[in-house]
Amino acid sequence: MFSIPKNKRLFVLAILLTGALASLSYKLVDLQLLHHAKLEATAEGNTHRSIVRSPLRGKILDSRGNPLALSVPAKVVCADPTLFGNYQRDIARLLAPILQTNENYLAERFQPTTHEVKGKIITNSYVVLKRKVSLETWEQIHHAMTNLTFAAEAGKLRESEKTFFDNLRRKAIFPTDDEVRLYPNQNLAAHVIGYVGGDQQTGQNGIEASFNSQLTGIAGWRRTETDVRRREMVAYRDQDVEPRDGMNVILTIDAGLQNIVETELVDALQKHSPISISCTIVRPKTGEILAMASLPNFNPNRPGASPMEALKNHVISDVFEPGSTFKIVVVSGALNEGTVKLSDQFNCENGSFFYGGKTLHDHEHYGVLSVERIITKSSNIGAAKIAIERLHEQKLYDYIRAFGFDQKTGLSLPGEVRGIFAPLKKWSGVSIAQIPMGQGIAVTPLQTLMAMSAIGNHGKLMRPMIVSRLEDSEGKIVVENEPQETRQVISEAAAKEMVQALKTVVSDDGTAPKARLENYTVAGKTGTAQKAEKGSDGVVRYAPGKYFSSFIGFFPADNPEVCISVVMDEPKNGHYGGLTAAPVFTAIAEKAARYLNLKPDLQPELSLEDTKGNSKPKKLAKN
Amino acid sequence: MFESTLKPDRAKIDWLMLAAIGGLMVLGVFFVYSATMANEDVRLQGYYLRQIMWYGIGFAAAGTLCFIDYHILSRWAVVGYWLTILLLILVLIPGIGTTQGWGARRWIKLPMFQLQPSEFAKISLIFVMAHFLSRPVDELKIPRNFFKALGLTVLPFVLILKEPDLGSALVLWPMCFAMLYVAGTPKKFILRLLAAIFIFGSLLVGDILFAPKNFRIPLEGYQRDRLLVFFGQDFTPLDATEAEKTKARADQRDKSYNIEQALISVGSGGVTGKGWRQGTQNVLGFLPRSVAHNDFIFSVLAEEEGFIGSMIVVVLYSVILFCGIRIASEARDRLGKLLAVGVVLMLFSHVFINIGMNIRIMPVTGVPLPLLSYGGSSVLCSLIAIGILQNVYIYRRSY
Repeated sequence: MFSIPKNKRLFVLAILLTGALASLSYKLVDLQLLHHAKLEATAEGNTHRSIVRSPLRGKILDSRGNPLALSVPAKVVCADPTLFGNYQRDIARLLAPILQTNENYLAERFQPTTHEVKGKIITNSYVVLKRKVSLETWEQIHHAMTNLTFAAEAGKLRESEKTFFDNLRRKAIFPTDDEVRLYPNQNLAAHVIGYVGGDQQTGQNGIEASFNSQLTGIAGWRRTETDVRRREMVAYRDQDVEPRDGMNVILTIDAGLQNIVETELVDALQKHSPISISCTIVRPKTGEILAMASLPNFNPNRPGASPMEALKNHVISDVFEPGSTFKIVVVSGALNEGTVKLSDQFNCENGSFFYGGKTLHDHEHYGVLSVERIITKSSNIGAAKIAIERLHEQKLYDYIRAFGFDQKTGLSLPGEVRGIFAPLKKWSGVSIAQIPMGQGIAVTPLQTLMAMSAIGNHGKLMRPMIVSRLEDSEGKIVVENEPQETRQVISEAAAKEMVQALKTVVSDDGTAPKARLENYTVAGKTGTAQKAEKGSDGVVRYAPGKYFSSFIGFFPADNPEVCISVVMDEPKNGHYGGLTAAPVFTAIAEKAARYLNLKPDLQPELSLEDTKGNSKPKKLAKN
Repeated sequence: MFESTLKPDRAKIDWLMLAAIGGLMVLGVFFVYSATMANEDVRLQGYYLRQIMWYGIGFAAAGTLCFIDYHILSRWAVVGYWLTILLLILVLIPGIGTTQGWGARRWIKLPMFQLQPSEFAKISLIFVMAHFLSRPVDELKIPRNFFKALGLTVLPFVLILKEPDLGSALVLWPMCFAMLYVAGTPKKFILRLLAAIFIFGSLLVGDILFAPKNFRIPLEGYQRDRLLVFFGQDFTPLDATEAEKTKARADQRDKSYNIEQALISVGSGGVTGKGWRQGTQNVLGFLPRSVAHNDFIFSVLAEEEGFIGSMIVVVLYSVILFCGIRIASEARDRLGKLLAVGVVLMLFSHVFINIGMNIRIMPVTGVPLPLLSYGGSSVLCSLIAIGILQNVYIYRRSY
């Protein structure tokens, strides 16, 4: 095509040009063919962005759909320190009042810092200023930043200065997604709900912890490309997976009932100043927990503000000797075995019974009592004699286990304990006399409540249930929990007899006349247990004047709708369960019955004309 | 003009070169469009339409030039040269020269467009050098004439450097050399000049890279930075405080940004490229929008059309350059030969420096890529240069 130039110098020139063009081509081969893969990856790194789309945490709702815990979107406010120039101080002054933080702290965060990665020095371009900033506050910040003007801008600006100020206004402060967990009812049901914590907002206690994975939901993601200003190019979006919001957990707890319970507990707390007080309401037929409260409690919005002690749910994690409430186990066991009848008489030894090298006491001196009266009067000696003479060790052990003691109840809350109960072969000679009166065994308030409910529920022990169902964010039911019967502990007939005995507890000569209700027959049992403490000499013995006082009762007695337990740790101003816990039971029961609209089974004295008649409430026909 | 009719087997104009020019202009329109369509503000200015207009004007100018024998044209060489020198002085005066918002004062604002005298200085230098060096070869052996020729180059070089426009100024030297060499200047003069330039160049680079502050040659800050970027040097002085170092690193990152992104653009294009208007570096603005359509147009093309596209460009330029060499060798006299060599070297320098900076074998200097880069003066100047080549070709047999 081209003839060789005749002129020699022109030829040399042509050779030089050829060489230069060849070197350009070689470099193009090097870049576009040999180093293509690496540079292509760099180009993709420029534009490709993977964005995690975080799901919104599910709600926790009460049985009527009232929100107990919910999440709202929020922002994390971040800064890029490389864009601040010398304006750290000015921006800090602007933002400190909006973010409600210290100006010096902000100015410090805005200072660029460097670190070394693989020999390259990287300037930190991402610092977190504040998390959980509400959308309104972020709007304020955004507005303040974009409307910022500087004195230096008054004059004529060079291109680079314009860019600097633009970047300072638009990019120096930026948000990322966050969410805030709200507990609109503050302290209400705090121990059941729990709280969240940590950067990942994971559940730390209560339902928040035990249903954390269901509440969290599944993160989605977006793979997309952005331009040089990091604005997303929607047309280049190649993967966009919606996050799946967390499931809603619907509890069996009724917020209204819970509120009644907590209000009454606060009153009792003021009256008796116990270390703690707890109350649980269960529906005996199903095992549904309608309310569960424990004081002192905490505000899950600010769990850190309360002492560690307040975070403890005493209903499931307290272990104490049950005392007299435990007599229901031995008596119903013996009734079930048929070795005893309610009318059988036992000699209660005038309040002092020497057995196995120890002397048992009653708080009053009883002579001969029927089985029913043993319950009514809560005779320790009577209970011990039933166990010793009619039930024996093996059966007693079996019934204790059958009523669900020494095992977790299976409630879906973290932190439940099984109590302390020695295996049969480790029993001492006196165990058979002590255990029936609730000594030498430690249980949780929930275990005792469930055992009592079993008696009310015709001998059927139910598994306690606190979550009624899980729904997805659209309200479709994912899991529906059904009541679960654990076992038939005692026969229906034995249960009926036991209820008969328990009804007498609230009679005038029972241990808890204060637990009597105007419109409903109550069956219940008091408990007053001395607290065992380790003394200064290291020996565990009963501490004088320190008691666990409790009352557990259900009503209407023959077909119970609710079973309520009230437990106080070290009440002052009286310690008998019948005097301390029983009035709290009554207060709660009356309001709960009204709230739940329960059908009365007693006809109260209605009119003055009727006063000359029977002063005792007349029984309605059984339904 | 009659001779060509007498010898009909000889084409009147060099069609092969013209085809290559046409190819480059088509590419120019497409890739100026691609480089400016992504951003709305830039797109609305209709760069590609204006580029077409400049192609038209340039073509008309080049065509007109072909009707006048280059011997007649070169009689005006000296006048043209001093006119250009006058313009180069005028552009330095703040009221007359404008900076267009850049650091350098390179443009004279005219009603229709911004005149860039340095572009035309290249053409007039070619003419005046060809005119001066086309004297009998024996006269070139006189050192005075050699120094006069050097002086002709040094004058515009200094003025353009003053603007400052390092790239355009440097381009003058390969032209000057090639013309001196082909004209028949004795070898020892050329070698001495080369040695002098080599020593001077090494001193300059050494000074920029290693000299302490007090001993530095006064260069514009950004020129020094560009060279530092090219040599991959850290901007920080050894005795800098931590704050100064941080600032310097940020500076370096900003300064190296263009060249790094250009390199990424070219390399990510691969064999076949990402497709017209599909280059992510270009479309999404990683290749800065202010330079994508002029100094870095090659990166846009290389990213979108890949190795094949960039080699087509290199081949098209090669065709023009070797056609130019052929025209030089077939020219009827030394004047024609020198004009052709001057034009070839001018085009070559632009192509080499511009593509070289896009692929990082040359430092960044604001040298446009002839016919592809957007810019009126550059397009006009390149087409006039082509017109000169054709002129030399057309009148090669008019004895």
